[in-house]
This record gives sequence, C-alpha cells and structure tokens, in this order.
Amino acid sequence: MNSLGRTTGDKIKSFLMFALPGTFVFLCVVILPFLYGFYLTFTDWNGVASVKNLVGFSNYSEVFRDKEFWKSMGLTLKYVVLSVLLVNAVGFLFAYFLSGKIKRGQNLFRAGFFTPNLIGGVVLGFIWQFVFSQVLVKFGKGAGIVFLSKSWLSDPTKAFWALVIVSVWQLSGYMMLIYIAGFTGLSEDVLEAASIDGAYGWSKMRHITLPLMVPSFVICVFLTLSRAFMVYDINLTLTGGEPYGSTRLVAMHVYEKAFTARLYGIGQAEAVFLFLVVAIVSGLQVYIGKKKEVEA
Amino acid sequence: MKKNLKRMAAAAMTAVLAASTLAACGSSTASTEKPAETKAAEETKAAEGTAAAAEAGSDDLKGQSITLLNSKGEIQTALEEVAKEFEGDTGIHLEVLACGTGEVPYTKVTSMYSSGTAPTMAILDTTDVVALASEYALDLSNESWLQYCDKLTTKVDGKVYSFPFCVEGRGIIYNKKAIEDKLGKEFNPESINSLDSFKACLEELRKAGMENPIVLSKEDWSLGAHDFGYVYDTQDGTTDGATKCMDALKSGTKVEDNERFKQFMDTMDVILEYNYNKEDPLGAIYDEDPMHLVEGDAAFWPNGNWAWPNLETAGASKDDAYGFIPFVLGNDSSDFANTSMQASPTKQLMVDAKQSTKEQQKAALAFIDWLVNTENGQKALVEKCALIPACSNNTVSPADPLSRDIVAKQSAGHTYASSFIAPSDHWAVVGATMQKYIAGQTDRAGAAKEINAYWTAQK
Amino acid sequence: MEQLSSTPKAADRVGGTRKVVKDILVYILMAIAAVFYLVPFFMVIINSFKQKKDIIKAPMELIGKSGMSIDNYVKAFKQMEFLKAFGNSLFITGLSTLAVIVLSSMVAYYIVRANTMFGKIIFALMIASMIIPFQSIMIPLVSIYGAQLNLLNHRLSLVFMHTGFAMSMSVFMYAGFLKSGVPRSLEEAAYIDGCGKMQTFRMIVFPLLKPTTATLIILNAMQFWNDYLLPSLVLGKKPLYTLPLSTYSFYGTYSSDYGLIMAALVLTLLPILILYFFLQKQIIAGMVAGAVK
Repeated sequence: MNSLGRTTGDKIKSFLMFALPGTFVFLCVVILPFLYGFYLTFTDWNGVASVKNLVGFSNYSEVFRDKEFWKSMGLTLKYVVLSVLLVNAVGFLFAYFLSGKIKRGQNLFRAGFFTPNLIGGVVLGFIWQFVFSQVLVKFGKGAGIVFLSKSWLSDPTKAFWALVIVSVWQLSGYMMLIYIAGFTGLSEDVLEAASIDGAYGWSKMRHITLPLMVPSFVICVFLTLSRAFMVYDINLTLTGGEPYGSTRLVAMHVYEKAFTARLYGIGQAEAVFLFLVVAIVSGLQVYIGKKKEVEA
Repeated sequence: MKKNLKRMAAAAMTAVLAASTLAACGSSTASTEKPAETKAAEETKAAEGTAAAAEAGSDDLKGQSITLLNSKGEIQTALEEVAKEFEGDTGIHLEVLACGTGEVPYTKVTSMYSSGTAPTMAILDTTDVVALASEYALDLSNESWLQYCDKLTTKVDGKVYSFPFCVEGRGIIYNKKAIEDKLGKEFNPESINSLDSFKACLEELRKAGMENPIVLSKEDWSLGAHDFGYVYDTQDGTTDGATKCMDALKSGTKVEDNERFKQFMDTMDVILEYNYNKEDPLGAIYDEDPMHLVEGDAAFWPNGNWAWPNLETAGASKDDAYGFIPFVLGNDSSDFANTSMQASPTKQLMVDAKQSTKEQQKAALAFIDWLVNTENGQKALVEKCALIPACSNNTVSPADPLSRDIVAKQSAGHTYASSFIAPSDHWAVVGATMQKYIAGQTDRAGAAKEINAYWTAQK
Repeated sequence: MEQLSSTPKAADRVGGTRKVVKDILVYILMAIAAVFYLVPFFMVIINSFKQKKDIIKAPMELIGKSGMSIDNYVKAFKQMEFLKAFGNSLFITGLSTLAVIVLSSMVAYYIVRANTMFGKIIFALMIASMIIPFQSIMIPLVSIYGAQLNLLNHRLSLVFMHTGFAMSMSVFMYAGFLKSGVPRSLEEAAYIDGCGKMQTFRMIVFPLLKPTTATLIILNAMQFWNDYLLPSLVLGKKPLYTLPLSTYSFYGTYSSDYGLIMAALVLTLLPILILYFFLQKQIIAGMVAGAVK
C-alpha cells in the first residue's frame, strides 16, 4: 500500500509534485557550489584571478605539508571532545530537572537557558572578552585567587577553556530543548512501572531513563559534533586565535589560509578534508548510537 | 494564548495554501531570470545607468551611478555624507559600500569580483591593491593629480594603479600634559632622539611616580605590522629599501644579523620594562589602552594617528597636546629613524577596469578629481573624514592634534614614506611571534628563528 | 488498583523531607545557572543605554558615569534606516520561512511515504550536507550566482538561498515526525474518498505536522533574521540591507561603537523575541514530536 505511487507514472508524478521543488532548491544552493568548490581544489586559483590552471592533486599534498593545519586539527579534536561532552551533559541535566522536578518557573528557566542562542557575532565576543579579561580578573585580585588574577585570554590553556565554556553556554540551551522533548516523550507508564519494580534514583536513571533517551543523545551529539568541528564565530570574536595563534581552530585556519594567506585552492582542499573528518566521525557516532538504540 | 496559537496556525495554513504557488514563483523568478549573456557584470552596472548614459555624452557624466567599497570602517558614515555632497556638485550618484563585521576587505573585494558585482572604486590597503592591480585596476599613470603626490604613489610594474587616498603615520604617541604634570617642567618632544634619551625620560617619569609610563597594545596587527614593520621601513626610509630587506630574508639572510632588528628588539625590551600592562602583557585591552594615556596614568602609546577616535572616546579633546615622537631605534641621534616619523599613504583607491562601463570609470576619475581639486572635495577629505590628504595642493588643516602633528612634520621634512609591502599573512604570523616575545614565551633568538622560518617559506 | 496506587505514595512520604531539601537544592543550582546564562544578555541591555567610555570602563555598572540615555537607540534607529531594513528583513525572513516550511514538508512527505531509492539518496545527501562548512562553499556560491547567472542583489535570490540552506535540517525534522507521529490510515482513507495527492497532503497531513511546523518556523526565522554572512554576500546595495547588515557602520577597523551596537542588537532582537515567546510552548511540543523518534 503506497499512496504516493502505485504505478510508475504515478510515482514519477508524485516525485515531481512533492520532492522536486525542494530538492531542486537544495541541489542548486548547496550541492552545486560544493561540487564547484571541489573542482576548485584541483586548480591554482587564488580566489580572484580570471585564469585557473588545473594542478592535479598538488593542493592536497600541500595540505599534508601544512603543519599549522594539523596542529589546529589536533586542537579542534580536543575542543570537540570536550565541548560535545560538556554541552550534552549540561543540556541533559537542565532538561532532566526542567521536565519534572521543577514545576514552578519551568518556562522561565527554559527560556532563560535558550537566550544565548539569540546573541551572536561581535557582541558575543566582546561581552565574553570582557568577562574573561576584566570581571574575573578584578574578582580574582580582590579575592586573592591567583588562578583568576590574570586575563584568561592571555594564556593559551585558559583561553582554550574560555572557548569551551562559551560554547557550552551557547549550545547547551538548544540541546536542552531536544532533551526535554525526549523526556516528555518517555512514556509515563514505563517510568511508573520501573518505580513499582523498585528502581529509584541512580539505578532508575542508569537502567531505564538513559537507554530510553538514546535517540535524543544520537541527535544531540550529531548536532554538537558538526557545530563544534566547524566553530568559527566564537573563535574569531572571542580569542581571534590568540594568544600567539595558540587557539586557532581548524575552521579559522582554513578561512585564513584561503583568504588571508590567499592560497584559495589549498584552503578549499583543507575544507574538503575537514568535511571528510566530520563525515567519518559523525557517521560512526550515528552508527553506534543506532546500534545502542536497537539493543535498548 | 491558545486562541492566538490557533489563529496563527490558521494564518499559517492559509499562507501555506497560497504558498505552493507563491513559493514556486519565488524560486522560478529566481531561476528564470537567468540571462543567456555571460558578461554579467556589465549588465547590472550598465542597467543602472542606461537612461543617463544613453542621453549623456562622454563629457557629461550626470546621472551616472557608481559604487565605492570602503574598507575603513570608521569613516563610513562620513563617506556617505561626502557621497551626497559629490552628487550635489556633479550629479553623479555615488554609493558607498561597507566591509562589514569581521570581514577581511580583500575577501570582500574578491567575492565581489567573483560574483561579477565589483565596485567601481575600492579603498584598500596597499598590499591588496598590489595583488589586484595588473588584472583588475585601471591604469592611472597619466592622471593630472600625480603632480601633487608623485612620491607617495605605489607603482606596480612601473605603472600607477591607485590614488593614495590618505596618509597615515605612526610612531609613539605622547600626552604632553601628563608628562609635564608629573615632571613639573616643559617637555620637548624633539629631545627624544635616541633610545637612551627615551629610556632616561621613562626612568625620570618612573622616579616621579609614574611607575610604568608606556602602554603597549597586544593586538597582533599592532605588534606584527605596525611595530615590527619598523624593521623594514627604517632600512633606508623607502618602500624599495623595505622590499630589498624582505627579499634578502626570503633568500636566507638571517634577520638577527640585521642591524635594525637588533635595534628594534632593544627598543622593545625597554618598552617591556616600562610597560603599563607589564603584569600581564597579553591581557591588555585595546579599548582601554588609550584611557591610561588620556587620564595621565601613562604618557606614551606606540600607535598611529588612526588611534585618534579612540583617544577622543577616552576623553581627549581636539585642542589637547598630543603628538608623536619617533619609534626610536639605536643611539645615533642623527639617524633619520630618530629624527623623523613614518608617514605614508595607507589606503589606496583603485578604479575597476574590468566590470565597469567606460562612463562609470570616467565618473570614478571625476570623483578623484573632485577630491583633489575642488574646495568641497578637499574639505570633505580632511574635515569630514578626518584624514590627512596625500596631495600637496590640499592645505586644509586637519582637526585633530595627531594629524596636525604629522602634517607639520611632513612639511618640515621630518617624515619618511616607506610603507613595507609584505605577504598578506605577515602581520598574523609575525604578530603571533611578537606576542610570544612580549609574554616571555620566547627569547630574541627564538623569535628570530620563527621570523626566518616565515620568510624562507615564501616563494 | 488501590494497592498499586498506594505504593508510590508511600514511597513519597518516606523520602518526604529529603525530597524537599533536594528540590530546594536543585532550585538554587538552576537559579545560579540561569544567572550565568542571562548575565551577558543583561549586559547588552544595560550597556545599550551607556556611552562607549562608560561601557569600557565599567560594563557591569547599571548606570554609567555620564548617565543613562536613549541616545544610542535614537542614533541607531536613524543610522540603520530601521524601518526600511526592518521591512527588508521581514520580507526576506517571512518569505524564506514560508518557502522552507512548504517545500521541506513536501520533500519529507515524499521521502517517508514513497520510500523510493531516490528519496533515500536525497535524504542521505541532505544529512551529509549538514556538515559542509559554509566558508567552503561561499566563494563558489557567489561565482555561480553572481558571475555566471547574475542573480545577486535581488531579495528573492536571498530567499532562494536561505531556503536551500535550511532544507536539510527542516526535512530531517519533518521526516522524523512523519515516521512516528502521523498514522498512515488517515491518508489512506482520504485517498479512497477521492482526494488527490496534493489535496490529501494539504488537508490531512500538513495540519497534523503542526508542532514540528511551529518549531521550524521559529528556528528558521531566527536563523534568517540574524544571519549576516550570506546576506552580505548576496545583497550589495544599501536599499536592500537587512537589519544585521545595516549595523555595519558601527564597526570600525580598530574599534567599534559598542553602545550603538548593543542598542542595534536589542532593536534587531525584539521582534524575534516576541515570536519566540509566542511560540515557546509549540516549540517544545514540536521537539517532542519531531526530533526524538
């Protein structure tokens, strides 16, 4: 039984009617430029000249020689692991408390945690810069905490953590929404039955709630993964890669390679590389998640 | 609430019903508009000015419509006013486009060229103009305004491709009042003409209670391009000299063997010793730095006249006594680097030769002419945009003390015009190295090694 | 029955006081977290009434040395040509959102119900495209639509691109909901009653997608409304500028006018905030229904 196509003609008709317009726009705007960009990685185009020469794989071999690229890729991996873990842990906790425990002010809390999604760009960078280089410093000096008495942004390790913290701040509210959705979707019956069976607290969480939440985890981790790999705005406006280029994440490196150093082909090749890495990592994650889902 | 939601949903539904057609229109207009012609750019441009171009002869540019890409954010509003005034005088419509937040001007102009919507004119850094010149810029070698600014033009393969839009200079800014208040005697900026005399002055201030009299900003463009740039610019005070120095570095000459590098690092060491931000050099905040200077907590700030708006925000007024001493290098008080300051055209205006019509190019040249030769244009440049003109026939006096000081030094012959042209990522890479240095993360030899590595990797 | 329901109640009573203490603790923790999340937002608001110097010197102060004033708002409003930019933003955001909702729901419907190889390929392509870095297609995009097709500097082109970029996420959410939340039997019935395919979709299926639609309206509208990079590439003329684009003159090369920027941000955000509060309940519901299954 299939309402969208019993005969071949019917199938084609419903394809034309339903799928074609949207798919056409998508292909035109996303896939076509992507393929063109892919083609550009085989040229020596500098981003502006009217002449392009085919250069084969030389841009790709340049990628392997670009030490800074691999350094920033390494740093990005570290950043991705930390921010994926923290964003999801925080988002999950918020959702857990806001979908049952706390009744009064629930909507206010939810809205509050979501607002960071509304501020972006330079303003966000400025405000957090100020927090890390002034508010905390004044507080640290006043309270005699050595750890806080210098600007976070002048130390590579602390500047890196500042990036992670701001990312958690920005993304966890979004993930919270998805987790809340997951919790609300959990059937009351199952949870009640578990309580009757004597499962409470941690053991209920561990054996009943968490496994049931696997689908939410799969989605949230996928979303955080891809966002964390490609983070650019926060990097640019908060640390700008400083101090001394130590916090330059891979998207920023790629951007600078293509536009500041004006090696467009190499930058584009590095972007393709980045795409492959993200594709493999998130593919693996979804695969493992789905398997878990089936087991649960 | 519920009712509202229902109403909204209903509205959405009606919208959706209408939408299948509407949206289809949206996408199909977008895709059917596709013209068969390939030389896309001329189309739009021409279309804008067709009516006028048709009836107007080549001498009458009235009704032409041209665009100007501005990479100098702080004069955007002023430029828009200037554009209106220009239109009032000549009838040519000028639209000023901005490079937005965090956008690299070169990326902007690149994407505009790729998209076939290149601006008729673009105000860009010298390096950007050099990169675009031979392929896209109009040859301006025969323009009459060259007589007023010949020494300040940038030549690519012997041709002039850009109009020097403004002169900017850099050195060490001083706050006269702050110094005199502390020392109780008159401060003569010319008395500082060597590293030793500078150091003595700093020490005197320290003894008088100003513990750390010099503010060092930590931005990589400031350290990498403006500060470290002295190494190249003071080779012999000309851009050619700077280029020769960089060519030598590319071919393997060690930077640590360069006399100017040694002197520069010596000066940096003195600055670091008396640095207001000493406790946490990389914790400096660019918007706060001028406040220390203006409020008299510090007396010096290595920077350029573009920093005036920052000083003004921090509370300085146009009649206050601010000025420049040179970024002193070594102890030879007759060295030009110690008696004069750097001042050169930093922003260049190029005219597009590829994607604009002939009439538009003429209109663009008319704009430059207006800036150079008419009273309104001269005033617009100096008073509205607060810039220092590159053309000697413009005698309008700048409003702020920093620019006034540069103009005075220029006419007294106390400036050198070298403006080094480095690869576009130079400031970022060398800036990072200098950040390491001021944070004590590397020493002189380590910094030299990184800089050598950068240069030898250039082809 | 009685026995069953009394068990949890008893358990509640046993843990009574402990539970209350725990709840209060959770409340306090959440309140602290909420402050942390909202502080930057408050900073934007209080600083939008201050002069730049006061902002830099003492951003945490409620009222700056030079006092509180709405000058920033007046100036920002004028310099942004607020009404015109607002109109552009509204036109672009409205039309793009509408187009995305209509087109993506239909694509998702096709993918889920027709279950063809082709549908699967499109779906996989869309998921994969969610991880393409925008920077890597930015230049190709403008070369194709600008130099080749000459379509830049039209608001409709931006609508077209917004729609394309938002497709994958929207299809993804709709498909998730369709798979789990919409029983096939209703459509079958309508179909047998003689409704055409499009009619069935319009009258039966689409109304059932309401929760997901609400979510996608707000998420997409927020994205379109605040976007800077794409509009800056497509719209090169001032009369076409959207709200975020129209704040460009507040940013200098070396330093920016923060007071104006923050006032402009508040002005830009207000409409989207109103929409958010309006749709908030629906968003959660939509997430519940769509994303999880």
